[in-house]
Amino acid sequence: MRANPPLAVALVVLAVVFAGFSVFYFTTKTSLLAGDAAIHYKHAIVFAVLAVLALVAANFARRGTASD
Amino acid sequence: MLGAGLILFLAALQGATELFPVSSLGHAVVVPPLLHINFNESDPSFVPVLTVLHLGTAGALLILYWREWVAIVRGFVRAALRGRITDPDERLAMMLVVGTIPTAVVGFFFLTPLTSLFGHPRASAAFLIVNAGILLAAEGFRRRDERAHAVRTPGDVRHASGDPSYAGVEGLSLRAALVVGACQIAALFPGISRSGVTMAAGLMAGLRHQEAARFAFLLATPIILAAGLVEVPQLGPRGPGAGLAVGAAALAGVAAYLSARFLLRYLRFGRLDPFAYYCAALGTAGLILLR
Repeated sequence: MRANPPLAVALVVLAVVFAGFSVFYFTTKTSLLAGDAAIHYKHAIVFAVLAVLALVAANFARRGTASD
Repeated sequence: MLGAGLILFLAALQGATELFPVSSLGHAVVVPPLLHINFNESDPSFVPVLTVLHLGTAGALLILYWREWVAIVRGFVRAALRGRITDPDERLAMMLVVGTIPTAVVGFFFLTPLTSLFGHPRASAAFLIVNAGILLAAEGFRRRDERAHAVRTPGDVRHASGDPSYAGVEGLSLRAALVVGACQIAALFPGISRSGVTMAAGLMAGLRHQEAARFAFLLATPIILAAGLVEVPQLGPRGPGAGLAVGAAALAGVAAYLSARFLLRYLRFGRLDPFAYYCAALGTAGLILLR
C-alpha cells in the first residue's frame, strides 16, 4: 500500500469518533446499541480499542507499507 | 444452580469441541437434550460457568502458542509505532488484527440476538449439517485444486504435509487474512464451528491443512479470551465456587490443549472429512430426535 494522507486523515477522524463513543459509554446511561439504559463499560472498552486500531491504521496509511 | 457434575461435563464437552471443527456452541445446545441432561440455559449461574470455561480454553491456546504470542504482541507494537511491516512476526500480528476485528465487532453487538434466535436445539442441529457441508465443500475444493496441480500422494487420499504448492500462514495476504477472519462471523450461529469455517476458508485461500488449523487457533485465541473476559463481571455470588471454577477451567483447558495437539498432528496428513461426517450425523440425529 502506498502512502495515502487523505485516508490517514479519515482514519484519524474515525478514531476521534470512536473515542467520543467510548467516553459517551463510560459516562452516560444509554440503551444505544445495548439492551438496557445503563452505563455500558464493555461498549466503552470496545470503542476505545477501535479508536486505538484506527490510529494504528492511520499510521500505516500515512507512511505507506510495502506489504499489501 | 448448576450441579458440579453438570459443570464438569460441560467443561469437558466445551474444551474438547471448542477447537475441533465441530462447533462447541452447537454441542452445548444439541448434546445435553440428546443425552436427556436437563438444565436451564437461563440459569443465572450458566453464563459465569461458560465464562470460566472460555478462560480455560483461552489459557490452553495461550500455553500452546505462548512463544508465538510473545512475538506477535511485540511485532504488533513495533509495527503500530513504525507504521510499517518489516518482519514475519509483525505481519502475522497485523493479519490477526485485521482478521479479528470483523468478528469481534459483529459478535459483540449481535451475539445475544443471534443466539436467542437460533439457540434452539433443532436450529443448531440444522446448522451442524450446514457446518458439515462447509467442511466437505472446502475439502472438495482442495482435492480438485490438488489434482489441478498434479499433487498426488499415494492413493490420492492423503495430502502432503510439506506440500510446496500451498502456503504457510506467513504467505497469506492481509486481504486474505481479513476474509478468513471475517468467516468467523458465521460461527455466531450455534452449530457453525469457528475453527471449522476458519480452516475451510484457510484451505480455500491456499494454506496447508496444518497451517490452516494453526491460523484458526491463533485467530480464535483473542476472540475466546475476550468472550471470557467481558463476562468476568458476571462472576461472583452467582458463579460456581472458586474450587469448582478452577477445576472446570482446568478440565476445559486440558481438553482443549489435547484436542488442539491432536488436531495439529492429525492434519499433517489427514483431512476435515471425518469431522464433517460426524457433524452431519449429530445434526441429523438432533433433527430426528429433538422436538
